[in-house]
Amino acid sequence: MLSTFNDALNSERFIVTAEVAPPKGTDLSATLGDAELIRGLVDAINITDNQRAVMRMSPIAVGKILMDAGHEVIVQLTCRDRNRLVLQSDILAASALGIENLCVMTGDYTTKGDHVGAKAVYDLDSVQLLSLISKMMGGSDMAGNELAGAPSFTVGAVSNTDVTKRMQMLKLKKKINAGARFIQTQAVYDVGSFKDFSDLMDQIGPNVPVLAGIIPLRSAAMAHFMNNNIPGIRVGDEFIMRMENAKDPIQEGLEIAAESIRELRDMCRGIHLMPIGGHDNTQRLLEMAGLYNR
Amino acid sequence: MIISSSKPFNEILEMLMDKDAVYIVGCSVCAAKQHVGGEPEVAEMVSLLSDAGVNVIGGVVAKAACSVRSCEYLRELAPNIEDVTAVLVMACGSGTSNIARFVDVDVYPANNTDSLGAMTGDKVIHHLCAMCGQCSIADFGGICPTAQCPKELLNGPCGGSMDGKCEVDPEKDCAWELIYERLERIGRLDLLEEVRDAKDRLVK
Ligand code: SF4
Ligand code: SF4
Repeated sequence: MLSTFNDALNSERFIVTAEVAPPKGTDLSATLGDAELIRGLVDAINITDNQRAVMRMSPIAVGKILMDAGHEVIVQLTCRDRNRLVLQSDILAASALGIENLCVMTGDYTTKGDHVGAKAVYDLDSVQLLSLISKMMGGSDMAGNELAGAPSFTVGAVSNTDVTKRMQMLKLKKKINAGARFIQTQAVYDVGSFKDFSDLMDQIGPNVPVLAGIIPLRSAAMAHFMNNNIPGIRVGDEFIMRMENAKDPIQEGLEIAAESIRELRDMCRGIHLMPIGGHDNTQRLLEMAGLYNR
Repeated sequence: MIISSSKPFNEILEMLMDKDAVYIVGCSVCAAKQHVGGEPEVAEMVSLLSDAGVNVIGGVVAKAACSVRSCEYLRELAPNIEDVTAVLVMACGSGTSNIARFVDVDVYPANNTDSLGAMTGDKVIHHLCAMCGQCSIADFGGICPTAQCPKELLNGPCGGSMDGKCEVDPEKDCAWELIYERLERIGRLDLLEEVRDAKDRLVK
């Protein structure tokens, strides 16, 4: 990638980010291979942080390794596993390793993952963590002690897009006020209601780029599963019917995603791809959406 | 009120199996209200343990296990408590701990202590206060997110609630849903605009 993610945010162009998961174990080949599939196609790669509370390698280490391999990265940082001391030392570590972009979130509860007995920390919430990062960038730690060298990051946050969830939208506003410079959203399947979200963003954060989440459907069963189990995701009946009737559900899922991306183009600054199972089809999806060789 | 529940009888039996002389102390406040340490429960425990072959030499219900003041007071209640080799306390953890200050033998809990809550009629409400030592419950309309939100979020909900229920326990309402509804009802949604700083986690 020639330019940084921050350059992309400051440009006029439509942005693409995509998620890659660290390995469970020391073997990085699958992670590096997945990132390789999207080399040159995306503006930055998000590296997940013990996503769904499943233990994996630290995203800070993976961030450094992907950067060394020539990728632009956004390291995700959840509040679940770290108290304020480790949050700050990890933030300094990320800075020392040259990581320039962070995306902060609360994090799924420990009982969702593979170590259900783990202590859930949540010493800070995502708004407080954003404020803390702003403060560290200003040169002091959370206790007010001066830092010998302040870090500098482009920091983002996440959000659901259902504007009827008024309390979540209020929190989004707080995140923006606390220093979120970009927002990556939960997967969007209802472009109409995303319009309401983008209208709301025009009010609460007109200068904050929104990257709309995209998860290509793989089957009708997956759509039902997400509707019943994943908060903030609502796949409409029309898409479910199309998936049920499709001869090649994977292709149909990509077509639906490509249509959504085309419609979303005028409503947001970019998309954030979170395909289940890796990036085998990401290039095809971007071609179908007319985003290849932007 | 301190919310407690009885340990399974087998667990209690296992703890006391090899003790020569056991005394049982109940508590007539929270534990009695919740039927886990009042007169009837202590009497039942005496007979269940005796039937199971444990040598129980007495049982008594303290006025409040957590305000027993001295060994003398205990002795007055239970003259032969000096002769025991173990005490089983049917109270909350703090009651049990308080009793342990006054007897130099093994002390065992009959209950698991869950939270600081309420009991209205027969309805037990868990986790109303987490005893953080810096009460700011008014900021949230009287519904404490430190106690009721498993992630202790002070600035609004996580993204994990579904249909108003909590990500962590779908049987429970999302605390933030309740806070929002209540503040809307009392016309204090303005309280939600403010950024709330992290609390100091006071030394426990
Ligand atoms: S803020 Fe909550 S946890 Fe702290 S004392 Fe008040 S009710 Fe209890
Ligand atoms: S769903 Fe609500 S109560 Fe449960 S952890 Fe999230 S914000 Fe807290």
